[in-house]
Amino acid sequence: MPESNFSGPAVEVNKVSFAYGRQKVLDEFSLEIPGGISFGLLGPNGAGKTTLIRLLVGLLKARAGTILTLGRKPSPRIAHLIGYMPQLPSLYAELSVIQNVEFFARIYQLTDKTERRRRVEEVIKLVDLWEHRRKSAMNLSGGMKQRASLACAIVHNPPLLFLDEPTVGLDPELRVTFWEYFTALTRQGATLIISSHTMDDAAHCDRLAFMRDGRVIALGSPDELRQATGQAKATLEDAFLYFIKHGGVNKNVQ
Amino acid sequence: MSSSTLTIASRIINQLIRDRRTIILIVVVPLVIASLVGVSVPDKSILDYTAPAILAVLILFFGFLLTGISFLRERSQGTLERLMASPVSRLDIVGGYLLGFLLFAVLQTMVLFFYFIYVLNVSFYGDLWQILVFQVLIGIGAVCMGTFFSVLAKNEFQMVQFIPMIIVPQMFLCGLLWPVSQMPEYLQWLANVLPMTYGVEGIRALMLQGQNLLDIGKDVGVLAAYAVGLLILTALTLRRSTG
Repeated sequence: MPESNFSGPAVEVNKVSFAYGRQKVLDEFSLEIPGGISFGLLGPNGAGKTTLIRLLVGLLKARAGTILTLGRKPSPRIAHLIGYMPQLPSLYAELSVIQNVEFFARIYQLTDKTERRRRVEEVIKLVDLWEHRRKSAMNLSGGMKQRASLACAIVHNPPLLFLDEPTVGLDPELRVTFWEYFTALTRQGATLIISSHTMDDAAHCDRLAFMRDGRVIALGSPDELRQATGQAKATLEDAFLYFIKHGGVNKNVQ
Repeated sequence: MSSSTLTIASRIINQLIRDRRTIILIVVVPLVIASLVGVSVPDKSILDYTAPAILAVLILFFGFLLTGISFLRERSQGTLERLMASPVSRLDIVGGYLLGFLLFAVLQTMVLFFYFIYVLNVSFYGDLWQILVFQVLIGIGAVCMGTFFSVLAKNEFQMVQFIPMIIVPQMFLCGLLWPVSQMPEYLQWLANVLPMTYGVEGIRALMLQGQNLLDIGKDVGVLAAYAVGLLILTALTLRRSTG
């Protein structure tokens, strides 16, 4: 894993505002994400999850406020420490799975040929696409594309990984495999920031931010959020609805 | 040239090579157009005179089209955004695309040129290699222009609109149909700021008058300046931050 030499929070967002034209997406949004955990951004479509991730990787520029990713402003200088899996699979349709992953390995400066091949093989096997490695991306199913896209994002073994809806289109078995791998990554010290709208993903995260209309309405671990509802058998879905019902204030339940 | 530039260029080449239908179209379509030119101009002396300008215009047209659409597709598929989130610089990205597409623009140029010379029997007087170098220069300009305008377009429909806006005026004003010197003064002024005018002037001087690249230094210089200028503009326009 490339060394980030940074021990502070993985992400610091301070009073960030962003709008697409006149449509405000984030308004004085603040959030701090510690390193070495899996952090879920949970909310319905339009909550601002993808916009926040695009701001954090430097694809969008905030109109106001500050963003620090691994202690620095998002820029190509720290991009080698970051893995980014966009919502769309974003693969080169004509290239095979192995060519796609190999391309990103080269782009992320895996210069040693033997090491690069080993790593490319490792991640393709991890996402269970080794048998399909020579298939063009255009001939893959939706779930396979998603897996190939993840392989491209993790091939350089980044210490900070942004995954935008990574489990969409995956069958339950593969979803479990993905989460086993994500958990293993956080144990190795990596930070994972995952956007999702499914409670199944949320339950796997160490910490969660419930998002709605560009705001954090609750922040805490899955257990803390469930307990905050006061119901013994509350699910995360119940917890989400509870925070919406109770005003949706920016609330750290810890 | 950085390793990232070469990696991007080789990826583009791999991509197009794996898309056999596109490769066939890249070769066949210019040949069909060139054949139409050949059969529609019955007088050999007229064909000899018009062929260099037609060649230059076709190189510009196909280079612009190939690059513009391909680059735009990268954006609409999200692959360019993914690349922008990686450690590569904007210049690496633009340089990589330029190199990758240039190979196919050169391929089209060679196919067209040799078809004109050996199949349509168009006469030429200059050095073959100097003519080819100049054609490649037009190809570089076309690729740079295609990349630049695809950055400005938000979708394929807008990109297609750039063809009549950017290419057609150059076809009319470059001297292909009528000498620039005989156009109204304001059109001459316009023609003199368009790169294709220099492309046509240069290629005619090389093929019809047997001049060399040094003799047409002004045309070479203007086309090179256009290519470098567009390359820099594209890198500047292609912002990592899009908000």
